[in-house]
Amino acid sequence: MRKTLVVAKHEFLATVKTKGFILTLILPLVILLPVMFTSGYVMQIATDSPRNIGFVDETGIMQPDGIFTRFEDIGDAEHALLNDEINSFITIPPDYLETGRVVLYSTGGFFSSAPTGLIEAFIIDNLLRDLDVDEPLGDRIRRPADMERITLNEEGEVEEKQEVRFLIPYAVAILMMLSIMTTSGYLMQGIVAEKENKTVEILLSSLSPEELLTGKLIGFGSAGLLQICVWICSGTLMISLTSLAAVFQEIQISQIMILAIPYFILGYLLFAGSMACVAAPASTMKDAQQGAMVFTMMGILPIMLLGVIIAAPDSTVARVLTYIPYTAPATTLMRITLTGISVYEIAASLLILTISVLVVIKLSARIFRNAILMSGKKIRIRDIPGYLKG
Amino acid sequence: MSDNTKNKRLFTIWQTAAAVIAGAQVEKTDETDEPVLDVLHLTKSFGTKTILDDLSFHIESGEIFGLLGPNGAGKTTMIRIILDIIKSDHGSVKMFGKAFDEAFKERIGYLPEERGLYQKITVFECLKYFANLKNVKKPDDRIDFWLEKVDLIDHKKRRVSDLSKGMQQKIQLASAFIHDPDILILDEPFSGLDPVNTKIVKDIMLDLKRDGKTIILSTHQMDQAERMCDRILMINHGKKVLYGTLDQIKADYRESPVMVVEYEGDLKPIDGVTGMEDYGRYAELDIGVGTDPQDVLKNLMESVKLRRFEMKSPSLNEIFIEVVSVA
Repeated sequence: MRKTLVVAKHEFLATVKTKGFILTLILPLVILLPVMFTSGYVMQIATDSPRNIGFVDETGIMQPDGIFTRFEDIGDAEHALLNDEINSFITIPPDYLETGRVVLYSTGGFFSSAPTGLIEAFIIDNLLRDLDVDEPLGDRIRRPADMERITLNEEGEVEEKQEVRFLIPYAVAILMMLSIMTTSGYLMQGIVAEKENKTVEILLSSLSPEELLTGKLIGFGSAGLLQICVWICSGTLMISLTSLAAVFQEIQISQIMILAIPYFILGYLLFAGSMACVAAPASTMKDAQQGAMVFTMMGILPIMLLGVIIAAPDSTVARVLTYIPYTAPATTLMRITLTGISVYEIAASLLILTISVLVVIKLSARIFRNAILMSGKKIRIRDIPGYLKG
Repeated sequence: MSDNTKNKRLFTIWQTAAAVIAGAQVEKTDETDEPVLDVLHLTKSFGTKTILDDLSFHIESGEIFGLLGPNGAGKTTMIRIILDIIKSDHGSVKMFGKAFDEAFKERIGYLPEERGLYQKITVFECLKYFANLKNVKKPDDRIDFWLEKVDLIDHKKRRVSDLSKGMQQKIQLASAFIHDPDILILDEPFSGLDPVNTKIVKDIMLDLKRDGKTIILSTHQMDQAERMCDRILMINHGKKVLYGTLDQIKADYRESPVMVVEYEGDLKPIDGVTGMEDYGRYAELDIGVGTDPQDVLKNLMESVKLRRFEMKSPSLNEIFIEVVSVA
């Protein structure tokens, strides 16, 4: 185990010091920082700009003011909204005092959620006009609006904005697969480089092939984990610092993050073990990359089938992809907020993935031992049984 | 069991017990008369091709053991099996009297034939990584010691890729010695070295032998093997063709001795000489089986004026070429 950790430390430090790795850590920040400041600036402008909000009050409590304009019915308010006479409008039903339910109508602009603060202030002001505050009214003062959002498209139809809900899991899935592929690629490069520069034989005179492979898996995996943690932390920090938080507040980020870690670890071990299988017998990086193409394609298949998964997250295709080990990590994370994917489905997917990882690691260790010192041969499928046999 | 052996074993047991009581780590328990390396009936095939064919030999502690053979004879495969890098099909390898254990790797230094170092890191980082893998306690001191020895201490902070091929070769040698191993397996240690560096490496090897280290020297340079090795094993097509001390091998190899003479006069056929290569002033005479070289010498002195004579034994190079070409 000591030697495995020596290899892991060496590979981790060698990887995190490379320009490519540092760039992958910084690049999302470089891209997201301007977005953060731009969105904050745009938000500021949006918030500070004069607003005209309509309301349809069926309680008789609300009175118009400089910002809020009364409409007698929803049809008039919708018309005004679609003609840009108002930025948005709310309907306050007759049972508002009992339910606190308020409906906000907008045209679906990205910052349309901005006036919630204004609306709450407007309602509280109206409620407090009568100073004789009873208990339900007191509650409503404290939680004045349990708001349901409805977005209208240009035709005035109600539109479901699933893309926004999908944004975080989709981003996490893409970043996770990017990290898994990058890190597995580092492992593959490391193995082939040690074959090419002939250091592998020196290493194998100090430790067993299994210890060497395990050390590499841990070292490169730790670098990948660091990468994805930095991305998640910086992403979360940026979202929390900006008004984007309001957009993402409905999405269960913690659930995604909790699942992202085991899927990352298992996915990484599966892909890295598979890459090791093709890297060990390869003589050149080109040979290894050609051999690894099939795993790469399988890894990005869920992203290529994104449209299908969004349109029908519970379809047979999406379900099958959830159970195929190479497509499970990205598919499950993308499905999770689109549909009520059951705990059993997730558990079965994780179980299949775990079993696959154990099989692949065992096979890769065997191939690694028997093929790592071979050179000058092309990778041929018919040779694999020989590598497994030894 | 002799009294001497009994006393030696008792002393070893006492030493071990004392070390355990003192809480010290007992690392070496091979103070016995067992060979350092005992290879028995080693057989290895790749597909239908037999690389090693029932090979048995042993290596004694403190000797320089020559492992010779033409390209493709199976030397590298045998070394890899000894190091447990690949598995044999049949046979066994015992080290220090025990079946091979992964921990033994810390007691072996290996210089493979195909040289290689990490090119993008410094000499120090490279050696430190290898030292850490070998569990060296004070790696920095050992790195400085060996860089001084191979005359590269001034290059410690340089990137490996900035060094010449010969320098890199010496760095690799240092990496094989850095953990003070008991057994050194050196595959072509002199290849690519200029005469100055060859002498440095040769002197280091002799120093290590004086320190009691066992060296397995695999080489094609027969003159180096002849001068340095205590015993040799020559293999061809995976089979043992020569094995033993050089004197034994030379004695076994040629039954009829060769007499070399430098002379003045007219050299005529001599009784007891079965073959003659005459160059006018120099001749090589094959002495027939059962003929006393003294009688040949007397006959020679009667016909020519002798300037020099010696009994010539075949060189290892000659034996190598003949054995390989016959096979």
